Amino acid sequence: MKKILSDRETWLGLLIILGLAVLLGFITNAGLVKRFFSGEFKQAFVNKEQYPGLVFITLAEAEFLWSNHQAVIVDSRSASEFKRGHIPEAISIPLEEVKNGNNALLEKVPKGKPLVIYCEGGDCLTSLNLAKILYERGFQDLRIFSGGWGEWTASGLPVEKNRR
Amino acid sequence: MDSFRVAGRKKQKMMLKNKYFLLLLRLIVGGIFIWAAISKIADPLTFAQDVKNYRLVGQTLSFLTAIILPWTELIAGLCLIIGVYPRSSALLISGLLIFFILLVAITIIRGIDVECGCFGTFSRKADLWLILEDFLWLSISLILLFSPYNDFCLLRRKKV
Repeated sequence: MKKILSDRETWLGLLIILGLAVLLGFITNAGLVKRFFSGEFKQAFVNKEQYPGLVFITLAEAEFLWSNHQAVIVDSRSASEFKRGHIPEAISIPLEEVKNGNNALLEKVPKGKPLVIYCEGGDCLTSLNLAKILYERGFQDLRIFSGGWGEWTASGLPVEKNRR
Repeated sequence: MDSFRVAGRKKQKMMLKNKYFLLLLRLIVGGIFIWAAISKIADPLTFAQDVKNYRLVGQTLSFLTAIILPWTELIAGLCLIIGVYPRSSALLISGLLIFFILLVAITIIRGIDVECGCFGTFSRKADLWLILEDFLWLSISLILLFSPYNDFCLLRRKKV
């Protein structure tokens, strides 16, 4: 091992391979790099062309849609988390159950209205992954409330418990 | 009984010196890395999201990983197969595999349920089986790293 690591040729080859990888990575993804640094993928790596109806909304927008009954609120967290507390009138569609094959759950989502989807907040990803599944099922107006449950409760907005 | 064991070990040693067997090992590990790379190069955004899902690095590092790592895998796999800096590529591949094993182990310990992202759209769960599989590729890659033999190489390396 010592001999291999002290051999200059080993390190030269390593540098060449890594340098070439960085170069090719940047050249072949020049368009994406530009879009990334202009701030397009700040919230998630979602291609707008692939999911045109999927947008990220703030707490104020989520609250407006909820208080004016302009959207269906969808909770993508687990059923037990939903029972402990959720946004009033939200419907529970736990992503983990959908992934386990419970597609009947998706039938609960009414069509025709925009959907506001949320999870715990912070770094949580179940809302985004559920939105992608719903998009494939024909739902076109999907708004992800990225602040999620954490931001909703922290701002003192009403919550509801124990309803499924 | 002992003579059987000695004979077995001799046979193993002979295999590790057999240039066709070593070439086969290079084709297997290099091929897997090339396949894994191509599926990710085709869809960098999905892979970036997969990296982010491990919840270890932020948005920028996930993005940079997604555009550079697949090319690293592709070039290292190609170099291993055609024999250009085969030792460097074996070292790089071994390093990557050790990193993947640690990454999946940490993810399991943290209780995060995540798709591994290994083969782009053909992904599967990051679980114990994945670690065992990576150990298999790592052992082959280490054999290639320490093997002093140097056949079927486009650029012949010094004997170390």
